[in-house]
Amino acid sequence: MSIDIVNGISNAVNYNIGQKWMEGTGEQRMKEQETGEKKIRTLTALLLMGITLLLPVLFLAMDKKEFSENENRYLAKFPIWGLERIKEGEYMEDLESYLADHFPFRDFFMEMKTKAEMWTGKKEINGIYMAKDGYLIEEYEKPENTERIGQILKTFAQELEGQNAELRLMLVPTAVSVYREKLPDYAPVRNQMETARMIYEISGIEPVDCSGDLEAQKEKVELYYRTDHHWTTMGAYAGYQAYCRAAGLEAVALEEMTSRTAAEDFRGTVYSKSGDYGRKGDEIIIYTNPSDKLKVEYADTGEVTDSLYNLEYADMKDKYSLFLDNLHSLIEITNETADSDRELVLIKDSYANSMVPFLVHHYKRIYVFDTRYYKQGVSSFIKEHPGVTDVLLLYNMNTLDSDLGIRGVY
Amino acid sequence: MVFSSIPFLFFFLPLCLILYYTVPGRWKNMVLLLFSLIFYAWGEPVYILLMFFATAVDYCNGRLMEKFGKTQGKRRFFLVCSVAINLSVLAFFKYADFLIATLNGLFSLQLKPLGLGLPVGISFFTFQTMSYSIDLYRRQVPVEKSYLNYLTYVSMFPQLVAGPIVRYSTVNEELQERKIGKEGIEEGLFRFMQGLFKKVLIANQAGALWEEIRALEAGQASVATAWLGAAAFTLQLYFDFSAYSDMAIGMGRMLGFHFPENFNYPLSSVSVTDFWRRWHISLSTWFRDYVYIPLGGNRKGTAKHLRNMLIVWFLTGLWHGAAWNFVLWGLYYGVLLALEKYVWGRALESLPKAVRHLYALLIVVVGFVIFVFDDMEALGVYFRAMAGCAGNSLWGTECLWYLQNYMAVLLPAVLLAFPLYPWVKEKIRTMGSRGRTAAALVSMAGYVLLFLVTVAFLVNDTYNPFLYFRF
Repeated sequence: MSIDIVNGISNAVNYNIGQKWMEGTGEQRMKEQETGEKKIRTLTALLLMGITLLLPVLFLAMDKKEFSENENRYLAKFPIWGLERIKEGEYMEDLESYLADHFPFRDFFMEMKTKAEMWTGKKEINGIYMAKDGYLIEEYEKPENTERIGQILKTFAQELEGQNAELRLMLVPTAVSVYREKLPDYAPVRNQMETARMIYEISGIEPVDCSGDLEAQKEKVELYYRTDHHWTTMGAYAGYQAYCRAAGLEAVALEEMTSRTAAEDFRGTVYSKSGDYGRKGDEIIIYTNPSDKLKVEYADTGEVTDSLYNLEYADMKDKYSLFLDNLHSLIEITNETADSDRELVLIKDSYANSMVPFLVHHYKRIYVFDTRYYKQGVSSFIKEHPGVTDVLLLYNMNTLDSDLGIRGVY
Repeated sequence: MVFSSIPFLFFFLPLCLILYYTVPGRWKNMVLLLFSLIFYAWGEPVYILLMFFATAVDYCNGRLMEKFGKTQGKRRFFLVCSVAINLSVLAFFKYADFLIATLNGLFSLQLKPLGLGLPVGISFFTFQTMSYSIDLYRRQVPVEKSYLNYLTYVSMFPQLVAGPIVRYSTVNEELQERKIGKEGIEEGLFRFMQGLFKKVLIANQAGALWEEIRALEAGQASVATAWLGAAAFTLQLYFDFSAYSDMAIGMGRMLGFHFPENFNYPLSSVSVTDFWRRWHISLSTWFRDYVYIPLGGNRKGTAKHLRNMLIVWFLTGLWHGAAWNFVLWGLYYGVLLALEKYVWGRALESLPKAVRHLYALLIVVVGFVIFVFDDMEALGVYFRAMAGCAGNSLWGTECLWYLQNYMAVLLPAVLLAFPLYPWVKEKIRTMGSRGRTAAALVSMAGYVLLFLVTVAFLVNDTYNPFLYFRF
């Protein structure tokens, strides 16, 4: 737009609105010869007002999305009326989230903020480090519940005293710990394994420390996704090796399994959080052992399949969910051709989902619990199933502290 | 509702202004009142009754004072009523739990705290209404005959929650009749925008830096980082608070009011005395006019002067929050001001300006560390980290990390804390018309760009605290 046109518009609008604005005084000001400077000032004010009016109008006019692909979450719904909710101020709070979630050009603004911060030298945005080699790495926040989690696990172990099952605890470090060299220079790092050590100690459960395996392999293979908070299948394999050593199993070599690329361009949670939406995605590689004959039963949906993967997720945003079909309170996996009659109870977060494909080879039956959703108490389940020979608790260090599910173990 | 929020910026304010400008003159106060009540009720639906009560009391006292107060003695009765009720309300809602905790501590009692939420802006509106009663008693303002006008004055949303403390005498004429013109709307809009940018792009970011440093485990922060943290909080508080005043003054201007200035580059002070002439001016002048001078000020000898200073600064501290650290913070200034007055003030003036700036800044930064920790133990820990006696090193790489991450905030913050902006404006004013046009174009691009970036930060925002919830 040339400046003449802009001036023309400014004059026209200025005159019209000016008439209304002029109450009482100002007539003489109108008569004043308006300089270019003044016109630009008025135009600036009009532009600012225009933006302020345009955005809410667009907000009202535009269709509301239910789900944000970029952020991978459901957006807030229009709040429900209610006298009590208004009195408590909840209604207004919900209304504010609704406005923020459905704000016009939300993704554009999110990215703009991130870009502005990156240009001005910020290396940590929304809790994500802009790390080297294209990695986005989630920070490790100050743990607040270490003692409490340790105590919960200890109680769980006490509940199971006298059972035959062997109890093990595996706390998996995340990328911020294993790939600390990739973090931006001078980034302060809290020691995850120090927290893990304290939890091992308080709980008294036999630790399975996989950090050594991860450290040993981190140069050779990619152990964590660049854009997601999970470990890759290779990371899970390193964890599996550590577990096999502790449980006296012989790990199946990768060469004996068949691998394939299940998904490309996986842009995970960390990508979403960062707001840096221009990045390339990751690949997800999956392994299957041809000798396993599996039956996978989802207790909550009643669905039965023969695969540990749901590849429908490969075309969706949250591709990591293709492992074990995302979230289920209880999954029962039977392997007719397992190399033992042992039975495993696996209590875990989503990190374990990519490790289960390796574990199934060794157990006739695996019960996979997500205690955020399974509310009947895993300890009583174990007591009712005397066939269970092993119990593994597996959590990653980053979400452990805030994971409320762990309170549901007993 | 926070000014720097999407609902306020894009729904509440435009709607209010459109209606306000559309309705004829005598309805404007009604629109303003209606929106102010919605604004207040947004976060505190129940406490709106408290606002009705407080204003009704002062309005009635005012009318009664005029009707029956033939002598100053009778007038005084109504004044005492008004002040006593206001202070009781303030004491009950703001200080009851503090008092209970203190009594429990002193006499090992088991009194139960009331657990009342603090009504937003209570410290501001009680002080405003008291200013009305006192000024009326002193016959400095005419009585307000319309309750709705009075309620409009007290509840007026631009200044309701965080000041400036607008006295009735400042706006009583504009409440009846005011001029709304293009000039005022533009000026007000720009002032509001400046405040918005300061709040979202500087104060919130400096605050995020402070929160990060504060969260470091003891001993993890080097001395340099601890000082960086204190500086970050100082910047946060100044920019947050002055941004609110900017936004309030700006919106006032758009509505046709002239609110008093509240800050005058306090971080560029050359002494503590200077600082308090520049920081939260509407509060310090309130205490000066309604407490310090009535007590005799400095006219009744050194002993009385010192006593008066102590009282005023004790109260100033306590006004900021119901906790001992605020009292300590007030007294810290009381003592320093007395020392400047009676001990080293003269000597200070003979020092080079740079040294005086440094002296004032040091005191201010240390003061705000007292201000921010209401837990005395945490305060002690932080001071030890700043002094290097927490077993921490003088300097660590983590300091570089914070500097690098927050350079884009810290640098402009430091520049804007000094009167750079008025200097540039003055330079532009004296330029030729060509230069002025160019400057106006640059400023247009600046406003639009900064506004969009601000919206981007708001849309994305997770950290948008409201620092005055205690006041």
